[in-house]
Amino acid sequence: MSVPTDLRFTKEHEWVRIEGDTATFGVTDHAQEALGDIVFVELPEVGRSVDAGEAYGVVESVKAVSDVYAPVAGEVIEVNEALEGEPDLVNSDAYGTGWIIKVKISENNDSAELMNPDEYTEFLDD
Amino acid sequence: MRYLPHTDSDRQAMLDSMGVKQIMDLFADIPGEFHTKLGSLDLPEALSEAGIVKKFTKAAEKNRHAGNTRCFLGGGTYHHFVPAVVDYVVSRGEFLTAYTPYQPEIAQGTLQALFEYQTMIARLTGMEVSNASMYEAATATAEAALMARRVTRKTRTVIAGSVNPRYRSVTENYLSRLEGDYIEVPMGQHGTDLSQVIVAMDEQTACVIVQYPDFYGSVYDLASLREACDANKCLMVVAFSDVSAFGLIESPGAYGADIAVGSGQALGIPMAFGGPHLGIFTCKQKYVRQMPGRVCGLTTDADGKRGFVLTLSTREQHIRREKATSNICSNQGLMCTAAATYMTLMGDAGLETIANHSAAALDLLVSKLPSGVVAADGVRYNETVLTFASQEKRDAFINEARNNDIFAGIPLETIEKSAEAKHLLVATTEMIEEDDINDYIAAMEVAL
Amino acid sequence: MSDTKYSATSGIQQEERLLFEHAHEAPESISLPGVQGKAPSSLDAFKRKTAANIPGLSEPETVRHFVRLSQWNHGIETGFYPLGSCTMKYNPRVNEQVARLPGLAHVHPDQPEDSVQGILGLLYELQGWLTEISGFTDITLQPAAGAHGELTGLMMIRKCLDARGEQARKKVLVPDSAHGTNPASAALCGMYTVEIKSGADGRIDLDELKKHLDDDVAALMMTNPNTAGTFESDIKEICQLVHDAGGLVYGDGANLNALVGVARPGDMGLDCLHINVHKTFSTPHGGGGPGAGPVAVNDTLKPFLPVPRIEKDGDVFKVITEDEQSIGSVLSTLGQTGVYMRANAYISAFGHNHIHKIAQDAVLNANYVLSRLKDVYHVPFEGLCKHECLLTDEWQNKHGVKTLDIAKRLIDLGFHPMTVYFPLIVHGAMLIEPTETESKETLDSFCDAMLEIAAQCEAGDTQALHDAPVKPIRRRLDETQAARKPVLVWQD
Repeated sequence: MSVPTDLRFTKEHEWVRIEGDTATFGVTDHAQEALGDIVFVELPEVGRSVDAGEAYGVVESVKAVSDVYAPVAGEVIEVNEALEGEPDLVNSDAYGTGWIIKVKISENNDSAELMNPDEYTEFLDD
Repeated sequence: MRYLPHTDSDRQAMLDSMGVKQIMDLFADIPGEFHTKLGSLDLPEALSEAGIVKKFTKAAEKNRHAGNTRCFLGGGTYHHFVPAVVDYVVSRGEFLTAYTPYQPEIAQGTLQALFEYQTMIARLTGMEVSNASMYEAATATAEAALMARRVTRKTRTVIAGSVNPRYRSVTENYLSRLEGDYIEVPMGQHGTDLSQVIVAMDEQTACVIVQYPDFYGSVYDLASLREACDANKCLMVVAFSDVSAFGLIESPGAYGADIAVGSGQALGIPMAFGGPHLGIFTCKQKYVRQMPGRVCGLTTDADGKRGFVLTLSTREQHIRREKATSNICSNQGLMCTAAATYMTLMGDAGLETIANHSAAALDLLVSKLPSGVVAADGVRYNETVLTFASQEKRDAFINEARNNDIFAGIPLETIEKSAEAKHLLVATTEMIEEDDINDYIAAMEVAL
Repeated sequence: MSDTKYSATSGIQQEERLLFEHAHEAPESISLPGVQGKAPSSLDAFKRKTAANIPGLSEPETVRHFVRLSQWNHGIETGFYPLGSCTMKYNPRVNEQVARLPGLAHVHPDQPEDSVQGILGLLYELQGWLTEISGFTDITLQPAAGAHGELTGLMMIRKCLDARGEQARKKVLVPDSAHGTNPASAALCGMYTVEIKSGADGRIDLDELKKHLDDDVAALMMTNPNTAGTFESDIKEICQLVHDAGGLVYGDGANLNALVGVARPGDMGLDCLHINVHKTFSTPHGGGGPGAGPVAVNDTLKPFLPVPRIEKDGDVFKVITEDEQSIGSVLSTLGQTGVYMRANAYISAFGHNHIHKIAQDAVLNANYVLSRLKDVYHVPFEGLCKHECLLTDEWQNKHGVKTLDIAKRLIDLGFHPMTVYFPLIVHGAMLIEPTETESKETLDSFCDAMLEIAAQCEAGDTQALHDAPVKPIRRRLDETQAARKPVLVWQD
């Protein structure tokens, strides 16, 4: 499967798109496929601060459940409310309309260990 | 042995086919030192079926029961009528001997009955959703307190002293190993003073638990509590011990309860010396993903036909493990089927009649009390506290009543340890006739 | 290949609407006993403003509605039910009969003690029997189910450790093959769980266990036989290691059926054991419950047993409601006594002279099924099994067939599927527990069906497996739809 080139990735199969001081989080195509049909995404409250590596939400399929962890630290500025009605956007468009939250990146610039697309592709192959 | 189909030749044929000499060779992986000498356990000799019936009949005859007495006992368990149809339905092997409906294609009977149960319980309690049962009212109350901690991410629990002491004790027990305060608000009377409860609430409070009608049988207006819960952003939990009340009086949902829990034993389930009963658990739809226990939901099958499945199971222990909303697995499934059957037979009209008769009986009893016995103040449904001049007087009455095949009530201090030994908790249902009340009062007059 | 050698067929099965769709006015209220008046006027201000909207059907319609629903269910009385770790054995009918005697079924839990000596006697007797069968010194009947027993047992362990001044011990070790209730119960008890990876044989690996034994260990929770159906032969050493590290050993008794009358967990060094009465002692599962989960304890944990409990004083049975070191109550009442009436009747029927035949035939049946299937289904752990055997779908996977397909095909052939996808330590698990109440004929018929399914896979003739089930009133149900937009109550 193809991995978008403008993103960074974590070992927990999350992606992050960094644009200025804003970061958008989601789970990778690999993650959504492993979970199966997503039935619910638990979103954090806007205004909450999350540390890098901290669980900020939960993604559920019928028979599996996974915490999602913040790739970089920041304050939640927007959550993808469309997921409340259509959690399957995570399945159908993991890197696009299936995004989960946006954060304002914290000044300490704390982040989890991030991989570039090539590294992530290699990680998936291992 | 009549429950084992194999003959010795069957066993031998099976062993031969496996190349095993004798059955005990199949236990070779259990170290020899742990093998019990076969037949050596300290148990009696096997009984025939007739022997079992005889033994149990003899034991049962040693007991008094609601069928050969007049039962004015409540305190969480009530002698309501159990229609023959209810017992017939739950005796059907297809309901009785089925497992949890994990294979929904061959468990649609259990599942549809659960869905109907959930719907009717939600309607009766005025709540948006119901789960498919908890063990009983005390553990349901404890689970409500735990759920409120998850929903609010706060850890302080406030509970009114007029909640059944047994529910309080189990709830405190469940919470005692977790962080956070558990605050009981003493009432100082046989009723509920909501202003005392409200004073005890603060912004750290996860939930406030009251009972309605309360442990002493008193009915009161919950409106002020809803406001206080909103002010403190905490959940309002309403417990109840006889769900039959809501055939007549305003439901917990109508007062805005976030969670309502209690006993559904009144719905066609025998008292059975304390169980199995039915723990009802209901809440607002928005909290459903933090709700404990199994729940049945609507869906369609591969041909597009309507059907039912257990759903939202990622909340449960088999998937979420240590992060599950509860550890509950086996619940009281058959009791849901019983309650659904019961409610279907009764309908709104029957449920209202039962509540009317239950309340009318207590009202009649109280109206006839001789001087020297006082019923607790306030509005009551089918239960109240009678206060006697002394323990001697009360016990003399209990004994006199016993002589007339009446269980007059529960000495309050047996449930509420701190109570003075001169109170009697008395309850009535539609099983109490006017003559029973006359005999009750007559016994009182003799004893006093 | 014909299905006619198997019993599943379609007779007259009726569709049945929801109660709420039976479109007619509620019938006249049934006549009810009691004081025929209205509630007092003092309640007027509290009356419901809107009716609950409970439909209400006449008696004949009610009976027909629920009987039709019942016919959509498979129960142990209908046919084979080989759910692993669930012990779906025949539930004797006489147990139902005696539990319904009015002197047992219509007794109020707060009646004076002298009016309940008969039922207290039956419960006390059962306490003794369960203690004897499990090999411990005392027992509580209060827990309402297995998971409730786990919580109760862990509460006792917590209190025992606290009494030893070991408040800091909070780690509960749980094998990765454990039931999900184990970690959930530990969390509820303020403890945290650490998973121990099973060894290559599916059993607890002693070296792996030792790695986790330190000053934080509160307890090991173990199931023996484990959920792979094999006996933990190192049980004595396991208990010794945990005890030496200062922890206690909790036994999950879900699989006690393998040992009844043959070996006793209490003799092996465990500190307590919950017993699933609705498994081992034949009380009906009721479509999910009620069960009962009494916890047997050794002398170490005995002081901490919950109250209330029953004791005997001369010839008189008494209910003890307070005890200094007790953990307190976990239920409003003494326990699910109606369930215990059935368990008492069940053990009465076996007595000391037959009780071991439960485990013997249960283990015989499981090994027989294993021996008939092991050449066509992958067996992850070689050797003897106890009361249940574990297979996987590994060999069928290459034909595109999964455990779920095999399970659903079994339905079309007339059998309830085995436990699927549990334990989690193997991929595509199929855990088969036949129990002792199945005849050789039934076992052979089931094994034939399993062999036929495997043969269909080999032949590439797998369409019927993917389509299955087609015979029940409903086909595969859409669980995704149910979970995405949960509809839990009917809206008119």
